Amino acid sequence: MQVYDSSARQIPVISQVKSIYENRGLLRLLVVRDLTVRYKRSVIGVWWSLLNPLFTTAVMFYVFNTVFKSKLPDGAPFLPYLLSGVLLITLFNQGLTMGADAIASGAGVLTKVYVRPEIFALSASISSAINFVIGLAPLTIVLAFYHKTPTWRFPLVLVIILCMTLFTTGLSLLLAIAYVNFDDSRSLINIFLMALQYMTPIFYPISVLGPHTREVIVLNPLTSFLDIFRHEFGNSAVSTLGNWETMLGCSSLAFVVGFYVFSKRWPKVVAKL
Amino acid sequence: MSQEKIVEITDISLAYRRTRHRVSSLKQTAIDTIKRRMAYEEFYALRGVSFDIARGETVSVIGRNGAGKSTMLKVIARVLPPSTGRVIVRGHVAPMIELGAGFNPELTGAENIVLYGTLLGRTPREMRARIEPIADWAGLIEHLDIPVRAYSSGMTARLAFATATDTTPDLLLIDEILSVGDEDFREKSAARTIELMNSGCAVLLVSHDLATVEKMSTRAIYLEHGVPKRSGVPSEVIEAYLSDVHH
Repeated sequence: MQVYDSSARQIPVISQVKSIYENRGLLRLLVVRDLTVRYKRSVIGVWWSLLNPLFTTAVMFYVFNTVFKSKLPDGAPFLPYLLSGVLLITLFNQGLTMGADAIASGAGVLTKVYVRPEIFALSASISSAINFVIGLAPLTIVLAFYHKTPTWRFPLVLVIILCMTLFTTGLSLLLAIAYVNFDDSRSLINIFLMALQYMTPIFYPISVLGPHTREVIVLNPLTSFLDIFRHEFGNSAVSTLGNWETMLGCSSLAFVVGFYVFSKRWPKVVAKL
Repeated sequence: MSQEKIVEITDISLAYRRTRHRVSSLKQTAIDTIKRRMAYEEFYALRGVSFDIARGETVSVIGRNGAGKSTMLKVIARVLPPSTGRVIVRGHVAPMIELGAGFNPELTGAENIVLYGTLLGRTPREMRARIEPIADWAGLIEHLDIPVRAYSSGMTARLAFATATDTTPDLLLIDEILSVGDEDFREKSAARTIELMNSGCAVLLVSHDLATVEKMSTRAIYLEHGVPKRSGVPSEVIEAYLSDVHH
């Protein structure tokens, strides 16, 4: 028989992860729900999840390739470079905002039933990761068009996905607290996400930047995620050990800090909902 | 085993800090912080509450709006940890929550039964076996495979009610006894609630319906500003509450 004792000591992060594991049945249902709603119920099915990144890529490709005549310095093809950038930033944006939204709008359930809200954040990140994996198909086709094949190191993409899942889950918990506490945080975060998108080398190579700008861009952890992704899948950029350190460090840090802060702040937030 | 304590609440309080102006925007917070106007006040939603509920007992909580009744439910449902004191709850807790809060309109009736039931603390496997009995009870067998978006509001409420009450809890949490749907289903749902309450579990009932409280409960607690003002025999507690209200 399950016993709830409010005075039992709970170790933050560890107890949360344990609780998610115990409720993995619910986690699976939530992921399936997200995917079902997106695919099964829409006429064009799986293509729906690809429409957004592919369309964005098409527009950007036209703007930067045809209007601005951008070229990558080493003469590498622009399209795979761009598409991998768009796919990765979509993974980040989706996981982050869907998770925070699910918690902020789940008040009807979360204030009445004991369900760890962290499960909603994790399920959103996992659904976005699955969409990302589907997006690798068109990327492979684009690469093939330029006579490139994914490198033998492409399983390392799984590590990137895992890190991104930890990264967006942690951050979306912080964002959820902001959403509930401050009504105007949604519009602010959209501006911030747009700025972050421009600070990530999605449609420009980092080499076109001046030394000072470059220092700032390199500080953005998403730059490391992206360099590694491009390097390991399709070889359209170079990644360094420093990129790996940044990616692993930032994702674990975001996860632990997000979970820790959430465990302290959430009870105060629930009281106000 | 009728004396088995399902809920033990020992001198709990729940305090939180709230801003005096009820700020809810970042802009306002920033301005107030700069002007050093952030005034916080300690607010007690509950203070010094102690009681037990044994198996078979129904304890009612009454009081004015904002007296801490809903907070009490949240604390027992494990949603809110108490600031001080101790809460022990043994066994499976079934909350009768706002109908359809966990529903997704894009999913079918069957998918929603499983998801909703799992949110309420059961396992997906258990719920899959219960799809048909639940839909049958709600009179929605033919509608199981269409999205809930296409349901009428009455059908949605019936499905939610049927799913929430398809359970054998150790503790039942009720925030007002719900009666939903058309006349027939209203009777059926009220009967189902009473059947659950009499099934031998412990019940915590929060209600403004004093007649029901008097009829259904073995004990009542009257909360005022989060503090228990009177507890004991339901009719006496109700009387004390009413005489306060009328003054």
